[in-house]
Amino acid sequence: MNHEEMGKPSARLRFAFAISSVLFVLALAISPVKDLLQEWKRYKREYVRFAQNRPDTKRLLADYHPGIDQIWIPSLNVVDRCTTCHSGISEPAVLAPSVTQPFRAHPVIPHRTKEWGCVVCHRGQGLATEVKEAHQTTLAWEQPLLSVQYIQASCGVCHRNDLSDTPRLNRGRELLVHLNCVGCHRLEGIERPAMIGPDLTQVGNKVSREWIYKWLKEPRTLTDSNGNVTVDGYENEEEPRMPQFRLTEPELRGLASFLSSLKGQPVETYKFDPRVVGAWEKKPDLVQQGEVRFRQMFCTTCHSIAVTRAGETKLIGGDIGPELSKAGSKVNPDWLVAWLRNPQAFQPHSLMPRYQWSDEDLFLVTRYIQTSLTDTDLLGTVPKLDPPSPDEIQFGRRLFQEKGCASCHVIKGIKPPTDFGPDLSSMGSKTVSQLLFGDAKVPHTLIAYIQQKIADPVSVNPVARMPQYHLKPTDLAALTTALLSLTGERPDSGIGTLRVPANNPEFHPAGAFGELYERYKCYVYHRFNGYGGTLAPDLSLEGSRAQRPWLISFLKNPQTLRPSLTFRMPQFNMTDQEAGILADYLGMVMQSRSVSFAGTPPADASPQLASLGKQLYEVKYQCQSCHTIGSAGGYVGPNLNNVGNWMNSAWIKAWLKNPQALVPDTLEPRRDFTDQEIEAITAYLMTLKQNPPARKLAGIAGAQGGRP
Amino acid sequence: MKVKLSLLMFALGVLLILPCCRERLRAPQTDSSVNAYDSEADWNNPDHLIPLNYQQTEGKRIFYDKCVWCHADATPAGPSNRSNLTPTPHLINDGSTLNPLSDEFLQNLITLGGSALGKSAMMPPWGRTLSQEEIRAVIAYIRAVAQPPYQPSAGPKPQYSVKQSSGKEDSTK
Repeated sequence: MNHEEMGKPSARLRFAFAISSVLFVLALAISPVKDLLQEWKRYKREYVRFAQNRPDTKRLLADYHPGIDQIWIPSLNVVDRCTTCHSGISEPAVLAPSVTQPFRAHPVIPHRTKEWGCVVCHRGQGLATEVKEAHQTTLAWEQPLLSVQYIQASCGVCHRNDLSDTPRLNRGRELLVHLNCVGCHRLEGIERPAMIGPDLTQVGNKVSREWIYKWLKEPRTLTDSNGNVTVDGYENEEEPRMPQFRLTEPELRGLASFLSSLKGQPVETYKFDPRVVGAWEKKPDLVQQGEVRFRQMFCTTCHSIAVTRAGETKLIGGDIGPELSKAGSKVNPDWLVAWLRNPQAFQPHSLMPRYQWSDEDLFLVTRYIQTSLTDTDLLGTVPKLDPPSPDEIQFGRRLFQEKGCASCHVIKGIKPPTDFGPDLSSMGSKTVSQLLFGDAKVPHTLIAYIQQKIADPVSVNPVARMPQYHLKPTDLAALTTALLSLTGERPDSGIGTLRVPANNPEFHPAGAFGELYERYKCYVYHRFNGYGGTLAPDLSLEGSRAQRPWLISFLKNPQTLRPSLTFRMPQFNMTDQEAGILADYLGMVMQSRSVSFAGTPPADASPQLASLGKQLYEVKYQCQSCHTIGSAGGYVGPNLNNVGNWMNSAWIKAWLKNPQALVPDTLEPRRDFTDQEIEAITAYLMTLKQNPPARKLAGIAGAQGGRP
Repeated sequence: MKVKLSLLMFALGVLLILPCCRERLRAPQTDSSVNAYDSEADWNNPDHLIPLNYQQTEGKRIFYDKCVWCHADATPAGPSNRSNLTPTPHLINDGSTLNPLSDEFLQNLITLGGSALGKSAMMPPWGRTLSQEEIRAVIAYIRAVAQPPYQPSAGPKPQYSVKQSSGKEDSTK
C-alpha cells in the first residue's frame, strides 16, 4: 500500500458502507411505513374509495378528515374512537343492510350516535384503534363487545322504567320479580315484596307431612305416577312458583317432619247452614253445580287448572294464584273453608280477595274442589313416613335456615337470614376474572356464566344452594339481558347521574273506598294512577269514562266487554252499598283533565244527527271491523251494544278526537274526524242502549249522588 | 463474505416487508341468525328462524301490538279477528301479494288507510298514531318475514346500490 492510497477506503469497504447506509435508511423507514399501514388508516382510505363509487360522494365525505375521530364524553369518562372506522355511522344514506361494515349507518334509535358514541351501549374498548382490540376481550380490556341479542341491557343501565322499545329487557325484569330472585339476592331497584312464599307458621294444619315431602321433592304437582311431567312444563309453561331444590332423602324427611309439626291454632270447622247442606247433599249434580259456580266466579282468572282436551293436557287459567288442579288432594277441608272466608287471617299479605260468600256458593265450590280437583295417585310415590321424631324435627328446623327457606317463607320465631345469596346489583359489569366457572364446559364469558349458573348451578359451584331453573331459551335470554343491565353504577358516577328512575308510587287510598280496595284487591288486576296490575283495564280515568249506574251494575254482575278475553272479573257478590261506594269514588276521583263535562248536557241529539253518525260508523269509517254492534262486527275493540248506558258522551267525544291522549297505549288509531263527524258519531253511539239499568240501582247509596 | 452479506440483506429485507403483509381488512364474520338482534319463526315452518335486525325488530313489536289482530290467524290473546272481516285481510307474511307492492305504496296504505287508496275502508289510517319511522319499520318487518322471500331486485330498485358488496350480509355491528 503506497502513501497516496493510505486515506482512500478500499472498494470493499466502500461497498459495505453503501449497503449499510441503504439498510439504515430502510430501517428508519419501518416506523413511518408501519404507521401508514395502520388498520384504521386503511379503513379510512377504503371509506374514501367507497364514497367515491357512490352518487352522493360529497355528502358522505362532508365530515371526513384523515385522522382519528373521537367522541369524548367527559361526564361519563368515555373516550370513543369507533367512528374512526365506522365513518358512515350517522349518514342515513348508507343505512341499507347491503352496505358492508364498517361503513353502514346505525339504525335510527332514540339517541343520537354522534353525541353518545358507541361504547356506552355496545361496550368494548372505545380507545382502541384496532379491530381486535376494540371488539374483543384482550389482556388490557376485559369487557368485550356486547352481543346485539342482549343490547337492550344497555338501555336498562340508565332507564329504570320500562320502555316500549325494549321488550326483552322488560320481560327479563318481570322474570326477576316473578321468580323472586330478591328472596335471596340483593337487586337494585327491586324491592322485597311483603310476602314471597306463604307464611308457614301453621302449615301443619293445612297439608299433611306426605304432601310436604312430595312438594319439596317435585314442586310441580302435575306429574303422573311414573314421575313424568304430563304437562310439558319445562318447555311450554311457566316455572313452578317454588323452584326445585336438590334435597337428599334425609333432608326431605327432616323438613317434612319439621313443617308438619307447625300447627299453631287448630282450625275451627265452619258450620254451614243445615238447610243448604240438606238441600244439596242429596242432589246428584252437586259437584257439577260446584264446577259451574267455580267457573262463573272466574276463579280461573288467577288460578289455573289442568284441562284435558283431545288427549292433550294443558293448564288453563291465570298465574296470580297457585295452580289448583290437585288442590282437593292437598289441603285439609276445614282449612279450605276457613281460608276462602278470610284469606288474610292466614296470610296477611295474600293477594286473594275476600269474597262475600253465601253459604250455598261456599258449600258448592269447596265440594267441587274436594271431589273433582283431586289425584288419588298424588302421594303414591311418597315412601312410608313414620311419625316424626324430635331429632328429625330439630334437623328439619336447622335445614330450614341453612337451605335458605327462611329467606322466602316466614315462620314465627325463626329469623330470616340477611344477604343469603350474593349481591347481584353489579352483576352486569363483572369481569371474567371475577367469575368462578368450576368444571362447567362453557366459554369463559360473562353471558355464558350467567346462563350456566341459572340452568345448572352445581356445574359452576358444587356446593351451590341456588335452586335449579328450567327456562325457555327466550326467557333465559331475557333474564340475562336484565342481569347485564345491573352494572351497579353509583348515583354519583357519570352514568349513575343519568338514571331515569322508575316511577310507581304506591296508591293506597284511605276511607271507605280504601277498605273495599284492599278487601277486593282491586290493585292486583287494575291500575290506578300508575300503580297496580295490568291484567284488567286501567281505572285511572274511569270516572270520566263510565256512567255511575252502569258502574254499579257492572260491579254487581261483571259481564265481559270484550268477548275475546279469557280472563274476566270475578263476581264478588258485592252488596249494593259497596258497589255504590266504589262507583262514587271512581266517579269523583279517577277523572281525566281532558274530558270536560261542561257544556255537554245529554243534548237529546236529533235523530238525523244520529242517523248520520250511523252512516259514518258503518260506511265511511267502517268501525265494525273492530267493534261489534248487534251480533255483527269485530272482536278487537269493546262491544258497543250498550255504550249509551255505559259511557259518558263527553268521554266518547274526547276519545274520538284523540284516543292516545286518554290511553297512550290503546290500539284504536287516531283518525281525522271533523267536529261535526264527532258530534254525529257520538249521537249515534249514545242511542245504543241495552237492558236499561233498573232505576233503583241508580239511587243506591247515593246520598252524595253521582255526577249528573 | 459476499454470501454472508447477501444473506444479511435478505433477512433485513424480509424483516422490512413483514409488517406490510398483515391480514386483509375484513369485518368479523359470524353466524347471522345467532347474532341477530331478534328472530321470528317462519309461520309455515317453525324450525326456520328468520333473523331480524334492529329496524325489523321494531316492526315486529309494532306488528304484534297493532296489526296482528287482523293480519294473522293467531294472536297473543288467542282468537283472531281476521276471519271476521270481508274482504279478508292479507296475512302479514303473504309474500305473493305483498312482494310486488312497492315500499312507497305500503307506506301510503298504512299511513292513509285503505279507503284513500281504493282498498277496503276496514283498514284504518295509522298516520296519526304511528310515526313514519315506525311505519317504515313495519314494512321492513313485512319484507323480512315474506314467504316466498322478498327479493329487493324483483321490486323497485333500492335508492342506492353498493358495488363492492361481497354478497355476504352480516347483521352484526
